[in-house]
Amino acid sequence: MTTSDVRAALLSADPKLSKFSPLPRILAFDEFDSGTHGWTELLGNYNGRGDLSTVDDHMRDFRPPQLSACNFFDIGTHGALSGTYALKLATRPYKGHTAVAIRRLTMSGRGLVQLETYFAFKSEATLGGGSELDTFGDVQWDGNTHPSEAQFGAFTVATDLCGDGGLRYHTVARYQNTDMDNHFTRRWMAPTVPEPTPREHFEGKVKLEYAADFTAPNPEDWQPFGEPQELCYNEVPTKVNWHYLRWLVDTDKRRNVELQVNDRVMDMRDVPVPPYEERYETLENLLNFYFSVRTHSSVRNFLFLDSVLISVDW
Amino acid sequence: MRQSMTAVLERDTTFDTRFATEPYEVAWASEARWFVQHVGGDGTATYVTQVSPDGITWCDLDGAEHVVEPGKLVSWPAAGFGHWLRLRAKVEGSVQVRIHLAVKA
Repeated sequence: MTTSDVRAALLSADPKLSKFSPLPRILAFDEFDSGTHGWTELLGNYNGRGDLSTVDDHMRDFRPPQLSACNFFDIGTHGALSGTYALKLATRPYKGHTAVAIRRLTMSGRGLVQLETYFAFKSEATLGGGSELDTFGDVQWDGNTHPSEAQFGAFTVATDLCGDGGLRYHTVARYQNTDMDNHFTRRWMAPTVPEPTPREHFEGKVKLEYAADFTAPNPEDWQPFGEPQELCYNEVPTKVNWHYLRWLVDTDKRRNVELQVNDRVMDMRDVPVPPYEERYETLENLLNFYFSVRTHSSVRNFLFLDSVLISVDW
Repeated sequence: MRQSMTAVLERDTTFDTRFATEPYEVAWASEARWFVQHVGGDGTATYVTQVSPDGITWCDLDGAEHVVEPGKLVSWPAAGFGHWLRLRAKVEGSVQVRIHLAVKA
């Protein structure tokens, strides 16, 4: 029996880890029954006096993540996959608003980095109102499909990486459920430009408004990859079905590798990873991960994470 | 060791009319304390802690009203809450508000 056989046996016998496929070294294993594990609100940069009015408008309100028992008006506590609590990102009920949770590490090597999670996405339930609320976007309530599903905009998983003399870049994968007009698109997308940064605003290059898409504000700078994919929203806003996501990137080649979401594996090696043209200081070996959720309606959107596992081959 | 979390529910936001903070889930916590700071504006606001069974429908936790004047930091505990907390506020004039919610298991 080889070392790798022993490792595989141990992983498969562990009920917590056997639902993941980690690379050789596990950097983080986050189950949210035991806290937020360093997933925290993202905030834009501010000046030397702590003056928060100097934070970019589009990066000042990404909302604190919550430890959620997935409580709902109709059934009470839903609970998570691994226990009672999930990490919840919640937007404001404001079209275009984004909630972001980030986790901050650094790299002690280069090579493959893999993020795995079990996630669910929901819109907030609507209570009351007239029969006009039985229709939204492309959906007419028919006992099966529910307008809530069309009220969910998009969620994103991404990195912020820097090294090798200040070369900074992001890898990004976004599931766009609907476009900004609330029509289903149900596709995976990635930006073709790097994310606007506070330094670019400081230098007068870019100024974005509140609720702008901070990852890449211009919709024309996003390109789909893979084939459209229907996920399991499960009819109403209070049923939570957990999806598996596994995302592999290569920090040696500074490229995406592949994205698996449930039974779909998408080759991402040709998805662009545009670096910043200028070099960045104070970010050497930066290894950040973030999840975000963006509403395309005036309804709060939620992204629930049951657990996250980050592993590397170095 | 006890779990704990501080959430910043408003970060130097300006209000000139009544408002409520976004719903925040605290089912895991047994203690909660509000810190409300008026970092700008010349107005005054009166705050009341609210609870909810579902994060959608809200009622006052108790009858306590907490008045915050310009430049002041005011704090009070919330006890016996359910799974959600928020504040509602009545505003006179204009207030710039920083609100921390500190919760412990």
